[in-house]
Amino acid sequence: MQKTILIGGEAGQGVAKTSYLVGKVFTQAGYYVFNYKDYPSLIKGGHNFNVLKISSKPVYSHEIRYDIVLALDQKTIDKHEKDLTKDGFILGGKRLRAKNFIGIDVQSILKKLKAPSVIGNNVLIGYLFKILGLPLDTLIKTIEKEFSGSDKGKISIMKKAVKEGHNSPGDKKEVLEIKNKAKYFLTGNEAVACGAIASGLDIYIAYPMTPATSVLHYLASRQLKDNTLVLQLENEISVINAALGASFTGAISMVGTSGGGFALMSEAMSLQGMSEIPLVVYLAQRTAPSTGVPTYTTQGDLKFAVNIGHGEFPKIVVAPGDAKESISRTEEAFYLSQKYRVLSIIMSDKHLGESHYSFDELEKSQLRPSRNILKNPSTLYKNYKLTKTGVSPRIVPGQGPFARATSYEHDENGYTIEDTDMTKKMNDKRFRKLKYIKEEIEKLNPVNIYGKGDNLIISWGSTKGAILDALYELKNFRFMQISYIKPFPQNQVKKEIEKSKNIILIENNVSGLLGQIITEQTGYFIKNKILKYDAMPFTPSGIVNRIKKITR
Amino acid sequence: MKIQELNTKVKNTWCPGCTNNGILFATKQAIVNLVNKKKIKLKNIVDVTGIGCHAKIYDYLNVNGFYSIHGRVLPTMLGIKVGNPSLTVIGFSGDGDTYAEGIAHFVHACRYNTDMTMIVHNNQVFALTTGQATPTTEIGFKDGSTPLGTKEKPLNPIVLALASGATFVARGYAQDSVHLTTLIEQGILHKGFAFIDILQPCITYHNTIPYFTKQIYKLNKNNHDPSNFEKAWIKAKEWDYCFKNNSKVPIGIFYKMKRPAFEAQWPQLKKPWYTIKRKIDWKKIADGFR
Repeated sequence: MQKTILIGGEAGQGVAKTSYLVGKVFTQAGYYVFNYKDYPSLIKGGHNFNVLKISSKPVYSHEIRYDIVLALDQKTIDKHEKDLTKDGFILGGKRLRAKNFIGIDVQSILKKLKAPSVIGNNVLIGYLFKILGLPLDTLIKTIEKEFSGSDKGKISIMKKAVKEGHNSPGDKKEVLEIKNKAKYFLTGNEAVACGAIASGLDIYIAYPMTPATSVLHYLASRQLKDNTLVLQLENEISVINAALGASFTGAISMVGTSGGGFALMSEAMSLQGMSEIPLVVYLAQRTAPSTGVPTYTTQGDLKFAVNIGHGEFPKIVVAPGDAKESISRTEEAFYLSQKYRVLSIIMSDKHLGESHYSFDELEKSQLRPSRNILKNPSTLYKNYKLTKTGVSPRIVPGQGPFARATSYEHDENGYTIEDTDMTKKMNDKRFRKLKYIKEEIEKLNPVNIYGKGDNLIISWGSTKGAILDALYELKNFRFMQISYIKPFPQNQVKKEIEKSKNIILIENNVSGLLGQIITEQTGYFIKNKILKYDAMPFTPSGIVNRIKKITR
Repeated sequence: MKIQELNTKVKNTWCPGCTNNGILFATKQAIVNLVNKKKIKLKNIVDVTGIGCHAKIYDYLNVNGFYSIHGRVLPTMLGIKVGNPSLTVIGFSGDGDTYAEGIAHFVHACRYNTDMTMIVHNNQVFALTTGQATPTTEIGFKDGSTPLGTKEKPLNPIVLALASGATFVARGYAQDSVHLTTLIEQGILHKGFAFIDILQPCITYHNTIPYFTKQIYKLNKNNHDPSNFEKAWIKAKEWDYCFKNNSKVPIGIFYKMKRPAFEAQWPQLKKPWYTIKRKIDWKKIADGFR
């Protein structure tokens, strides 16, 4: 079974919530669901839509041909009617007009229930599941579970509304099988937040910016339960400097932002490099340059992240490809940052951050979080001791010996120096860590290979989903997903390239940024590129079509 | 403890006779007094500096320290305080640092009222970059970047702090270490954001010692009531940071009031995070998504 459902309406009509609920019912019934969210930057009006791809086998992407369109307004029909599949149909309130239309008398039901118009969405959901042959009780149970914390009156009216929808006259079009095991259903941003909690997060600081904001909301909502502190400060510069201050005291700290905010943070990331205070930065990319297309997706910041901060200092850039990877990659980012006193940057984008993914299991990594703070430091302690690994054991203020952190070049005690000998020694010390970090990363699957074939697709980040789903239709292709961009897994990438016939780079950007990094790191230039920079994510059919053109 | 315990072995590279030494001495004396009175613990003191002449104090004070970047002293201090609320956080900053590069943080620090002390070495000039005008430089000042003379009215940080909701607003004079010591002590003891603007004549690029020697007077209980905002406002406006012959320059505490400190309002800010041991119940977290 595979179905693609589009749910659309004006901003403020509850499109995202309705889609989430429909997706949730399917995952509770044991189906795999991918939920793509499309919305312009406005609060009321306009046109928002979600696309749900539902399948009995794992699914990681959406399509732009729909089996069902659930319309909350006429604009949804006008815009998407043309993209219906042959047997597709449109569902909505009776007043709407369309071909292949099933209209439900939502208004009468709302009147009967004395319910506000937004409850009409629940009537439509009830009806949708009726014609798909899914029993009412699965629906009711999901609502009870999802809204368990909400007002009882609200839950009661929602339940009544789905019941009315489910009882409305109409024929079942099919009977969906209920599978036993419910799937996990979450966004990339929720996954990053959970990875942070699993890493022992103490403090998260941010300034709101799409598409990173939901990490702030999610962590803030549960901060008392988790015993964490979630702060919003006056700007991103304050955010990252405060995070460094907090981390200096031993608090496990993270900040999150998107391109513009990340740019403002760059000066302090260089401070991280000199002070060697552990820090994790989450960068959720959106379409740039500048304000760009704020609520849409692009992978345009890869080289910006890799090169962020003036001067040279070791850093880690890791890019998960789906929500599940976002958990373990976030944990790795924290682990490496704390252990090696380095900056870890986790990269995602709007598509990964805000789309819902579904999984059978939701594991955390096996890494054990540690603050790596020296216990009972002696009075001879040195903050920037020159060690074999380049990692100086860390203390925090309050322990006894004085903790020092500095933006200035310094001696082992953390006092300011300007002499050439120590400047060189400290640079060498900081870069000595790189060898050990590389060894750790080699054990963390920095590169994943999917499928079998002589030909190779190379990509990174959120494109993983559409590529995996496209692989079913591509013969003789395997896919190399590169997750660690810095330090770069040179040898593995080189080896895969060397044993492949046709090589195709797929990136959601204008100039193939990963391709440039591959050339820099391996000496290989990848000629065949499939690039997309219209602010929209790839779809499997889009990828298949473009690969066919190249290999024809 | 003795004051010598606060010395480091680092060579002092301020200009000979620099008035920053007065601030360094007053700070040390204030720390010694408060530690000896058991009001604060030496091991819990953290200083934070920006970038500029003032920031060299990081190397001359033997306490926990964070040599931060230009303009970012206040957010760094805030982070340290929420990272470990038991720390005594003292910030040192310059006028360029605080009132130019970091002005946004200053306004918000006054609003937040985090329990920490901000000491601004206000020499009304960018000294370490060889003498350009700052936001507190007087009209008519000529230098490498403004050979035609500055045209802008200087910013009055005392007025700005009051308008932004600061709960402890004071002005000191670097050449009066005894008076300054008491200001710093009171600032540290204040449960909230304590702001001390220190007139610190730069003997190389902006020597205002002769003017201040003549025009400065001290606020005391006979001539001022620091609990009265309207009176504080009037005193704050008395001197406009220009050097007119007839202006009097008040120093001392302009305003002081009680308001809950930032960190006191978060139930989760009870103890240093680094002492917290966590057990992560991953199953519970994951089950939230199923």
